[in-house]
Amino acid sequence: MNKPQGASMYESAKKIYPREIGGRFANLSRLATIVLLGLFYGIPWFNWGERQAVLFDLPARKFHLIGLTLWPQDFPYLALLLIIAALSLFFFTALAGRLWCGFACPQTVWTEIFIWMEQLTEGKRSQRIKLDTAPWSWNKLRRKGSKQFLWITFSIWTGFTFVGYFTPVRDLGAEFLALNVGGWTLFWGFFYGFATYGNAGYMREQVCKYMCPYARFQSAMFDEDTLIISYDESRGEPRGGRKRSVDAKAAGLGDCIDCQLCVQVCPTGIDIREGLQYECIACAACIDACDSIMDKMEYPRGLVRYTTEHAIHRESTHVLRPRMFVYATLLILLCAGLVTSMATRTPIILDVIRDRNSLYRELPNDMIENIYTIKVINQSDQARSFVLGVDGVEGLSLDGVGTDDTVHVDGGSVLSLPVRVRAHRDDAYGIMTIQFSVTAIDDESVSIHEDSRFLGPMP
Amino acid sequence: MISEEYRGAKQWSRDKQAVFTVVWISFLVAAVGTMVFFALFDPIELTGLFDTDLEIGRDAGYAAGFFFFWILCALCSGVTAYLVRTAPKRDAKHRE
Repeated sequence: MNKPQGASMYESAKKIYPREIGGRFANLSRLATIVLLGLFYGIPWFNWGERQAVLFDLPARKFHLIGLTLWPQDFPYLALLLIIAALSLFFFTALAGRLWCGFACPQTVWTEIFIWMEQLTEGKRSQRIKLDTAPWSWNKLRRKGSKQFLWITFSIWTGFTFVGYFTPVRDLGAEFLALNVGGWTLFWGFFYGFATYGNAGYMREQVCKYMCPYARFQSAMFDEDTLIISYDESRGEPRGGRKRSVDAKAAGLGDCIDCQLCVQVCPTGIDIREGLQYECIACAACIDACDSIMDKMEYPRGLVRYTTEHAIHRESTHVLRPRMFVYATLLILLCAGLVTSMATRTPIILDVIRDRNSLYRELPNDMIENIYTIKVINQSDQARSFVLGVDGVEGLSLDGVGTDDTVHVDGGSVLSLPVRVRAHRDDAYGIMTIQFSVTAIDDESVSIHEDSRFLGPMP
Repeated sequence: MISEEYRGAKQWSRDKQAVFTVVWISFLVAAVGTMVFFALFDPIELTGLFDTDLEIGRDAGYAAGFFFFWILCALCSGVTAYLVRTAPKRDAKHRE
């Protein structure tokens, strides 16, 4: 007789038409969108000296970050940076809730700009709903067509910019205009462009609700002192419509006039008055919506506001609490570690590989010889001269390097050099540890050393 | 009262949710995995391991590595998601 309501669980997702709203937080999020997208689309075009300021040159296996060039050997920095990013996310989540989701997440930011383009072509919320239900007409085709044109153009530009972080963007631009973009570049450009188009144009809040891992575990960082967006139930209830002239108290009503504006503006389609929900991305649109109504009703603002569980229950909120100290201490330590290790980083790498084919060679004049391949990587941008040295056994000498044991390495390149190391047989027996060193001629503080083994006959 | 427009049928089906979650999470893990792997190994040196005349550039190597990781991760979490699936509670129909 009664169709189980559960069946509706398996219907496809209903499209949400978020209603546009202005206000303090809408301005803030617009600002965040402009700044973040400005950075994303702008950064590749800046040059530093001769080259692009930020370029992840994968084919050459080098990352250029303004004046800094990172090599695969610098991977620990990247790992450290990722850990710091994750910890910052924890810190800010515990402190201020889902700030990341509401204002900084690429998903939110790109969705915002795609919705803006949608509004530009299809009109306001009610017009969009009407347009979607209307039969196809010239007007509908024109509006939908121009929306798709804007979306696709913007997506292609996005994909192009993304690839521009990995391929010099100015060359890429020239190739693009000449319609002569190479295979993998084209592939990744389309890949990223299509992902943007799909995620920001169609998936939108469903990415946050069903796919995002952060959305699912962020609540673990929450406590009663975390800043959340909440409806003040004790002030708003019992909700109900009323005329502006009615004295709400006398009529036994709370401040909520049940206009549902907070629900209509919600990009994830929830009702904030039902309490904190994991779907809430803390975009604060409902605060703007409610404030505008409170202003009209001449009630004080903040029926829906940024607050904490403690504050809502009239208890005191503690910003300084153990978990904040733990996150903050870890963050400070890691940041300090990153900065010091970057500051004291020597821009050279020395690799010593002992020749595996022979243990040692006995030379006619009672000398013992071992052979090594030495790799000197000059990570700086300028060509440099280095002095090679070897130490650890009495009377050790280096052969095959050149005059004064000096080598010249071009900026950003690797020098591979076979060298012979000799010692007198009276000093060289068994397995001994020796130390190679390389020191820049122009700056003696730029110096590193590397241990290796020197083999001689058993005594 | 919330208008019907907002209520009810805005859930994804479990299968759809599982598929998209698997694809997305394995994408993220594959991205990190690719980064770590290729920071340690140069694709050009890796092709030298095989006795074939395989001549591929670095960008093709990176792409192949990324998709290999993506497929591997998706396979792993996809099978896991499939195996841990449980039937809906038997009385779910009558509860409403």
